[in-house]
Amino acid sequence: MVATTVPPPRPRSRMRKHAVPYLHLAPALLAVVLTTVYPLVSALITSFRHWRLNETREAGEFVGLEQYQRVFTDDTFFNSALVTLQFTVISVVLSVGLGLGIALILNNRTRLSALTKALLILPFAVAPALKGFSWRFMLNPDTGVYDQMLDTVLPFADDINWLGDPFWALMVIALTEVWGWAPLIALMLLGGLNSISPEVREAATIDGANAWQRFWRVTFPLLRPLLLIVIFLKAVFSVKIFDQVVTTTGGGPGRATESLNFFAYSQGFTFLDIGYASAVSWVIVLVLGVLATMYLIAMAKQEAK
Amino acid sequence: MTDMAVKPAPAPARSAPAPRPRRRPGGWAIVRAALRVLATLAILFFVLFPILWMALTAFKPARDAFSTAVVFAPTLDNFAAILGGASDLTGALVNSVLIAVATTIVSIPLALLAAYAFSRYRFPGHRGMLLAIVATQFIPGVAIALPFLTLFRSLGLIDTHLALVVVNLSLVVPYITWLLKGFVDGLPIEIEEAARLDGCGQVSLLWRVITPLAAPGIFVAAVFSFLLSWNEFLFPTFLARTDASTLPVALMTLVLPEGVAWGQMAAAGLLVMAPMLIMALLVRKHFAEGMTMGAVK
Repeated sequence: MVATTVPPPRPRSRMRKHAVPYLHLAPALLAVVLTTVYPLVSALITSFRHWRLNETREAGEFVGLEQYQRVFTDDTFFNSALVTLQFTVISVVLSVGLGLGIALILNNRTRLSALTKALLILPFAVAPALKGFSWRFMLNPDTGVYDQMLDTVLPFADDINWLGDPFWALMVIALTEVWGWAPLIALMLLGGLNSISPEVREAATIDGANAWQRFWRVTFPLLRPLLLIVIFLKAVFSVKIFDQVVTTTGGGPGRATESLNFFAYSQGFTFLDIGYASAVSWVIVLVLGVLATMYLIAMAKQEAK
Repeated sequence: MTDMAVKPAPAPARSAPAPRPRRRPGGWAIVRAALRVLATLAILFFVLFPILWMALTAFKPARDAFSTAVVFAPTLDNFAAILGGASDLTGALVNSVLIAVATTIVSIPLALLAAYAFSRYRFPGHRGMLLAIVATQFIPGVAIALPFLTLFRSLGLIDTHLALVVVNLSLVVPYITWLLKGFVDGLPIEIEEAARLDGCGQVSLLWRVITPLAAPGIFVAAVFSFLLSWNEFLFPTFLARTDASTLPVALMTLVLPEGVAWGQMAAAGLLVMAPMLIMALLVRKHFAEGMTMGAVK
């Protein structure tokens, strides 16, 4: 053979062939396994053991599925599951609906729209815990600036004690989420709207479709895979809601805003029942696991296109 | 040539007023444009008002804190109170900076190496590991915080910076690995091939070729890493309530038995959000794709 500057490939074993990428991956993999897989497995084991931190320092005896049975007979757990479900539906509908509205309004090339688009990411960058405090301040039923604006527009709003009312308290927490997410979702959807070629819509216009028909027959179907991804993503983050519950209501009034994460937190951190809290947290892992699988499937479908 | 001859003379068409394809903006168009501007202004209000209101409240004197006044004599009293004053949050501010910086410095090299491997090699487990990386983002914080609470208690690491940096890795490393993979994917492979032909080894290839080329991506990843640790609330709530507590958790100390100290809360809030707002504007082009881990491009 003619001599080349590149050495000919040597035959290698399967493992050695892939040694280079594995070596590159090792540090990150180690960090991720130690900080996600280890705690997940540890929590799973603990969920089968009796362990109250106020009684013993070390984990106690194995009690089998006892703590899972307790989860599914615990009214306060079901309450938090229901609260989380309501919260997820409210915040997904409002965030995605408003996000789509914002995207459609800003889907043009005027200077005002360009400026608005540039500022859309700001709310998302605000710490969620702070969002809770900020909205709690603005909706203070006596002095809050939003409260006073609403009282002027809607006379009946004058009587509402936003965080003292079970329904409105959950709505306020949802609004803190919507404030951050709707603009971000609008940005994602604007990306999708941009990839719809203007010819498609022009063709529809020439065929006599009005704006309403153009949206439902052309834009919406093309946007649907993206909308699906956004809905799942928002749902997953809504199920994980925690920060704003702590900083607005602390779960109240009563247990009206106790989300699943908050419930697990109060069992583990406040009541120091680590075993039970671990069982609750694994129930949350499973719920999110289902959502995550659906999300990954939706994403794979989008990628395939 | 013959075509031209066949064409009818254009003269009559020119003399007659040509029917314009577009009408001058008439009644409808003006109403629609006006509605669009109004709607856009409403969006701007929705997005910006809470931020502006907090910024405004931060500079209000105590007696105006609860008023909706927009005109007042601005004061730095609230900042004085939280920075060394009555309700000092300086410690939390320092913690927030230290933990976010440390998390970023540890995460970037790990993530860049992993991103490079995902981008440039195909190996058994490639797709599975990438999916696993996305999947980590769906793990509920409590399922990570609880085991670390008991582990760090027995190790005596509760309420330390180290504890928070370690758990933050669970959020940051998968996230920025994904982000950096996107950037490395975009780098032309020819440069690497040329460097290899010149005898460049793997280590110097990564350090001298990939790192400078991926610098913009590394910057974006660093910003996201900083932002994620800075805004994190659940982990410090479980693991660092006092000594190593970060700013978002320390805000809770302004909730006093007699009520929330809103002026100071607003000042502290401005401290929490201002750096993040600036960072978000710096990387805004990557936000939509960043937050969805590449699902939306």
